[in-house]
Amino acid sequence: MEQPILRVEGLKTHFPVGGGLFAKKQVVKAVNEVSFQVMQNETFGLVGESGCGKSTLGRTLVKIYEPTAGKIEFMGRDVGSLSGQELQEFRRNMQMIFQDPYASLNPRMTVGEIIREPMDIHNIGSPKEREEKVSSLLETVGLKPDHVRRYPHEFSGGQRQRISIARTLALDPKFIVCDEPISALDVSIQAQIINLLERIQQERGISYLFIAHDLGAVKHISQRIGAMYLGSLVEVGESSELYHRPLHPYTQALLSSIPIPDPERMRSRPGLQLDGDIPSPLDIPSGCPFRTRCPHATQRCAEEKPQLRQVGSSQVACHLYE
Amino acid sequence: MEQIQNIEGLQLTPDLFEPLSEAEKNSEFIAAAPRTYLSDAWHRFKENKLALCGLVFLLIMVVMAIVVPMLSPYSYEQMDYGAINLLPCTEHPMGTDKFGRDIFVRVMYGARISLLIGFSSAFICLVIGVVYGGFSGYIGGKVDMVLMRIVDILYAIPNLLIVILIMLVFGSNVGSIMIGICLTSWIGMARLVRAQVMSLKEQEFALAAYVLGASTPRILFKHLIINCMGSIIVNVTLLVPSAIFTEAFLSFVGIGISAPAASWGTLANEARTLIESSNPIQIIWPILAICLTMLSLNFIGDGVSDAFDPKKK
Repeated sequence: MEQPILRVEGLKTHFPVGGGLFAKKQVVKAVNEVSFQVMQNETFGLVGESGCGKSTLGRTLVKIYEPTAGKIEFMGRDVGSLSGQELQEFRRNMQMIFQDPYASLNPRMTVGEIIREPMDIHNIGSPKEREEKVSSLLETVGLKPDHVRRYPHEFSGGQRQRISIARTLALDPKFIVCDEPISALDVSIQAQIINLLERIQQERGISYLFIAHDLGAVKHISQRIGAMYLGSLVEVGESSELYHRPLHPYTQALLSSIPIPDPERMRSRPGLQLDGDIPSPLDIPSGCPFRTRCPHATQRCAEEKPQLRQVGSSQVACHLYE
Repeated sequence: MEQIQNIEGLQLTPDLFEPLSEAEKNSEFIAAAPRTYLSDAWHRFKENKLALCGLVFLLIMVVMAIVVPMLSPYSYEQMDYGAINLLPCTEHPMGTDKFGRDIFVRVMYGARISLLIGFSSAFICLVIGVVYGGFSGYIGGKVDMVLMRIVDILYAIPNLLIVILIMLVFGSNVGSIMIGICLTSWIGMARLVRAQVMSLKEQEFALAAYVLGASTPRILFKHLIINCMGSIIVNVTLLVPSAIFTEAFLSFVGIGISAPAASWGTLANEARTLIESSNPIQIIWPILAICLTMLSLNFIGDGVSDAFDPKKK
């Protein structure tokens, strides 16, 4: 728990858009100067509105996108310089679970082929050992070994998500980026998947980066949580701390949007309601990205971008806490 | 009763629960037999009676094309001046031509050439088009840009012009007709595969394969191209008749297969001169062969495109 397995420093992922014959070339700053650490055997939750760059951050970590700037250090090695054999080893240890269980499984492959594929790619074990591992993984995720000859379309969303978890586990990774693994599922199935992920973590000592916009689920599974807004981390703290004493105005607003199953208390709840939409990532406000929607915004917020600094046990990027 | 959990004031006690029934414990069980994609498509294809008829006709044609010239007492080039321009009779089911050659054997021999050209050039176009379009779409960026401009340039040259030029250079034989047809026909396939691959490569299963460390050819062939198999097969069923038609047209205007070898186009061309003479019926046979083959190929194409249409499931 003490040693960071993943260290991210000043990470930027920008995408050029447009730039045709007459259009001006613009840049989407999807991830803009993000730094955080994930400890061994820890679950780090990442929350934020849609379009705030959470998924881009996750995809940059597993090298689907190349970072524009910044450094990713995984298990003590700089990820940016990996190639060949080292890159394959990195892939073995860093895996990803995708959001949409209907799109993340190849419809032309049987479940057995899907789960065996990682071992085929990395040449792990003999064909017989691979078959055995596929059956044991299916049991781990609560499916039956005789499902190997079935095709993905024969399964429900929750079952498919479990198949895709089994696929990532085939490589025995040390770190899994979970990109909203439960947001496409029914509420009753969500708990099932969360419990499965927690059990796997206890059994195998895996670290998670858990991306979600469902705050309840994130609080349940994560030890620490980072709140993201327009490509920047605005607050990082212990899970319970962040929930009970949110510091950043954006985190406060996020938390006050969690519904309470009691209309009386819901109505009387104090809290911050946000107006308007998240600004376009093509045109991020100067200074603090949140200032256009922040009730406490001052002149200083427009001029200077606040950096993450320690306040109590949390880190927060806001000029209010100085 | 002991309190188990307290969620926002709600008391949960064991007597609120009832045990799962046996049926619910088996909720992971799937009753239907597993079915592969192709067997599914074949099942739907069989439903289309017209397409099935087309397939049967085509198979009969292929078998006859192989067997008839082998077993018949006449060869396609054997002339018999004692039996010129005969009408259909028991010895010559389709009659004889102006040199006394048996037309039935010649039509079947022509089927060999026409079907050979149709299927092999479709196969060559399939291979070139899928590989070219697949890499172009998957790699994208500047590579895609260059590859697609090459395709645009090739596409801008009239198809027939290329074929005729190649026939002039390499002579009138099956090989040069096939080169001529293949040189431009793969373009449609390449564009189709490129477009499909470009949209599929953003899908999460392709990203998942990438994150797992799969190589580019593996992602391309095992994950992307196998998922556009439906439209590729449909495209092939259109390539075959168009190749047969191009060959027949070239032979008919006299720059394709030359006598004494016979394709359907050559036969029609030879019979053309007799159309006002005593025996106008000769032109019927090659034309009938072309029409029926085209018709059955089109029916098959129709059936195949329905069978692979995901919306018709």
